Amino acid sequence: MTHRICRRGFLGLLGVAVLASEPAVLAHHSTAMFDMKKTVKVQGTVESFEWTNPHTWIWLNVPNGSNATSRWGIEGMSPNYLSRTGWTHGTLKAGDKITVDVHPLRDGRTGGFCVSVTLPDGKVLRNLPEAPSP
Amino acid sequence: MRSAWAVLLISAMASGTSLAADPPSNNVGSPGDSWRSIARLPDWSGVWELDWRSSFTGAALVDKKLPQLTPRYAASFAKYQAAQTRGEEEQTEQANCVPPGMPGIMTQPYPIEFLFTPGKVTIAIEAYSQMRRVFTDGRTHPADPDPTFAGHSVGHWEGDTLVVDTVGVLPGTSLAPGIQHSSQLRIEERIRRISDDTLQIHTTFRDPEALAEPWQVVRTYVRHRDWDIKEYVCTQNNRDSADSQGRAGINIER
Repeated sequence: MTHRICRRGFLGLLGVAVLASEPAVLAHHSTAMFDMKKTVKVQGTVESFEWTNPHTWIWLNVPNGSNATSRWGIEGMSPNYLSRTGWTHGTLKAGDKITVDVHPLRDGRTGGFCVSVTLPDGKVLRNLPEAPSP
Repeated sequence: MRSAWAVLLISAMASGTSLAADPPSNNVGSPGDSWRSIARLPDWSGVWELDWRSSFTGAALVDKKLPQLTPRYAASFAKYQAAQTRGEEEQTEQANCVPPGMPGIMTQPYPIEFLFTPGKVTIAIEAYSQMRRVFTDGRTHPADPDPTFAGHSVGHWEGDTLVVDTVGVLPGTSLAPGIQHSSQLRIEERIRRISDDTLQIHTTFRDPEALAEPWQVVRTYVRHRDWDIKEYVCTQNNRDSADSQGRAGINIER
């Protein structure tokens, strides 16, 4: 079956009721590895944008303060979902300078799940859908 | 106009043109058994997306009733819940691109589409590029069906309601997270449109080994006339994983 955003929280609050009738947000994996309560802003240059299933990926080179960059791997919603909200395979290109709001990995590696992307002109592209109201 | 081909297919069926010649004797056949009689079936064209609200926090439960598990399956569910407190069972084999099978494949956050051909309703499911075949030609289930993700489905029309009976679902698919079933599982789905663009599926699960009594859920789906089913090849670039204890992994190496 599928998984929920903020699964741990829902489980704690609602237990079996949710298990019996979960809403589906991410089709294919849980959000367990991400800190869904935390959002960090990551600013950098797009190395590549992978328009692939089951998830899109933004590979972002982020200055790390010592004249070098760290590469962030940022998982996003699928092309199937995103194409229905206006994204295309050409929405991001190598060399684009963007800011990404990310739910970071819990284990401290430079990766996370994409919440939204802010383009240089200030335009914000939502990636992760808002959790529906019960 | 993305769903134009589906509309064309159905209107071609409706007009009874030369896609296939109806046998002369089927004027009194069962609904959907010939191209001509498909014209009398309800219009389910376009694609249908699960209405999340109908699936949220108990909303889908009939009479708010949770599945009543037999002692053995209740113990197995308790074990699953205990494993979750240890950080296991965080995710399923879906993270490794194994499709959920029935019934989970019907509640994915991706649309489904119904295709009518004589004697068969095919349900095309975007998630994991799955397909269900519901035989409406009067056949019965095999005596001992091979277990499969989708199971073996037969159906018939009661007015505008398609009634689907499914058996032979692979043990290992779950009724809900952590809730297993036996090879005795039987799923009845009553599918009908309750407004122009709303489809309702009332599902009853019967499993004398796993369920102390039948368990029912009702969910609704919203029509998108201008969507198409898109490709979904899960192994294209899957960086997520579940280990044998269901612990989540993610690969961010390049």
